Amino acid sequence: MSARRLPRSAADIAGGVVLYGLAAFALFLLVAPSLVVIGISFTEKRFISFPPQGFTFHWYAAILQNQQLIDAVYVSVRLSLWVTLVCLAIGLPAAFSLVRGRYRGRTALGAFVVAPQMMPGMVIGIAILFFGSFFAFRQSELMMIVALSVFCLPFVVRVIMARLAGLDPSLEEASSNLGAGRVQTLRRITLPQLMPGVLAGAAFALIEAFDNLTVALFTASPRARPLAVELYQLIQFDSSPIVAAISTLEILLALLVVLVLARTVGLDRLPGR
Amino acid sequence: MAGVVARLVSARGIGPALPAIAYLVVFLVVPLGFLFSFAFLSVERGVVQPGTFSLRHFEETLADPLFWRVAWRSFWVGVVVTLLCLVLGYPVAYLYGELRSPLARQLLLVAVVAPLLTSAIVRTYAWLVILGGRYGLINSVLIELGLITRPIRMLNTDFAVIVGMTQVHLPFMILPLIAVLAGRDRTLEDASRALGAGGVATFFRVTLPLSIPGITAGCAIVFAISYTNFIIPQLLGGGNYTTLALQVYEYIVVILDWTEGAVRATLLLASCFVFVFLITWAGNRAMAWTEKRR
Repeated sequence: MSARRLPRSAADIAGGVVLYGLAAFALFLLVAPSLVVIGISFTEKRFISFPPQGFTFHWYAAILQNQQLIDAVYVSVRLSLWVTLVCLAIGLPAAFSLVRGRYRGRTALGAFVVAPQMMPGMVIGIAILFFGSFFAFRQSELMMIVALSVFCLPFVVRVIMARLAGLDPSLEEASSNLGAGRVQTLRRITLPQLMPGVLAGAAFALIEAFDNLTVALFTASPRARPLAVELYQLIQFDSSPIVAAISTLEILLALLVVLVLARTVGLDRLPGR
Repeated sequence: MAGVVARLVSARGIGPALPAIAYLVVFLVVPLGFLFSFAFLSVERGVVQPGTFSLRHFEETLADPLFWRVAWRSFWVGVVVTLLCLVLGYPVAYLYGELRSPLARQLLLVAVVAPLLTSAIVRTYAWLVILGGRYGLINSVLIELGLITRPIRMLNTDFAVIVGMTQVHLPFMILPLIAVLAGRDRTLEDASRALGAGGVATFFRVTLPLSIPGITAGCAIVFAISYTNFIIPQLLGGGNYTTLALQVYEYIVVILDWTEGAVRATLLLASCFVFVFLITWAGNRAMAWTEKRR
């Protein structure tokens, strides 16, 4: 510790200025665009312009009057709930088997289940689109659910596996030594300890399925478009601040999720992923 | 029900993993097979024409100079974005390691993680507002200050695509770097300082070599997602801007020529894996080199 308190040379000071200057600029770059969007969402002008003028909730009210956007939100919500359900239903047992199983090839299987996270969303979307078309199965909500589940599953399994591998087995042994059955041990000891991992996995699947564009653009039917695809079409042809209002709501939602994750999982656990 | 669940999750066998494995085989491995095979077949309106197997599509694409121009742009945009993310992301991760207050650490993580939880559309939209024409943020500020009289064209250029992509992909660089920098053993740095090395020398000869695994992981992921991103080039690059990934999207969704799309998707995926492999290989070589020097 004391070693770092030595008198600093001019080069050290210059190095520090460059390092922390870049860090400050990077943090500004991360945060500032969101603030700009939030500012724009309250403007009274009819097109995107800066600085925002006046203050109005008009664009938020406009969201509620836009049936197409409301429908898109419903599609996205349905989608993200289904994807999360599928990922947890098949991902949770898989994580148990891949961490605690005693069979040959377990590590290789684990790699197989986690590997698809290297796959760009676009490739997954196209592959499912081609696969479906071969069986005369068209773009639809179901196709999106199937494709997005493939996209999210590796992340869900990996987060739960990481948590499961870190659990202390002696607690479960103590539970069964004290006479608890397997179900009781699972419900009262294992699952509560596993909860942060499950929660983080579920949060990831919920958000990714809600926001995803790269998979959805290839698998969404034109009649039931999720919010991300709807917005994608919207901002290519229309510059009204309504998109800023929706973005502001999404930013608030993201902050809420970060807060929940920070209180339950701990944000500092995420980097180690 | 509870009994079934308990048996499923307490089993030591492969059983509980089978649904997930079957799901990935049926809905990923088999579909990928379809994707690759479509590149060799003629597809009309989503229906494969039998007996049309041919290498012609690959040959024609690889002989097309336009394809190479587009692929080259995808590559160098990916490289520039990766380097910018490294230069900007490393100091943030380093700062995180130096922060002592838990609150400050939390705030820094919120600033890094929160953008990841908003959609790509939201983050790209912000850049339309900032870089936009006469009424964009930068132009209106510069005009207000009297520095320029006519708006500078920033949207629909390489500059816009690179700036937007760098900002959107920055968290993917910072998180793996935090993972290595926050958990590092500081005794080596203290020893270096105690032996009389300056802060700058200590940084370049101790801290930086120790963080090579994080740099490698961050560069691999940022390059992969930048190389295959088509949303940002589409929205910030304007109508005439193409990258390989954007061509894939256009062939499959707009032009509906699935064979040409499949050819380019296959080439995109294969080349992406090669580049990621090269980055990982270079990282391992760098690690071996610094260990030998020690």
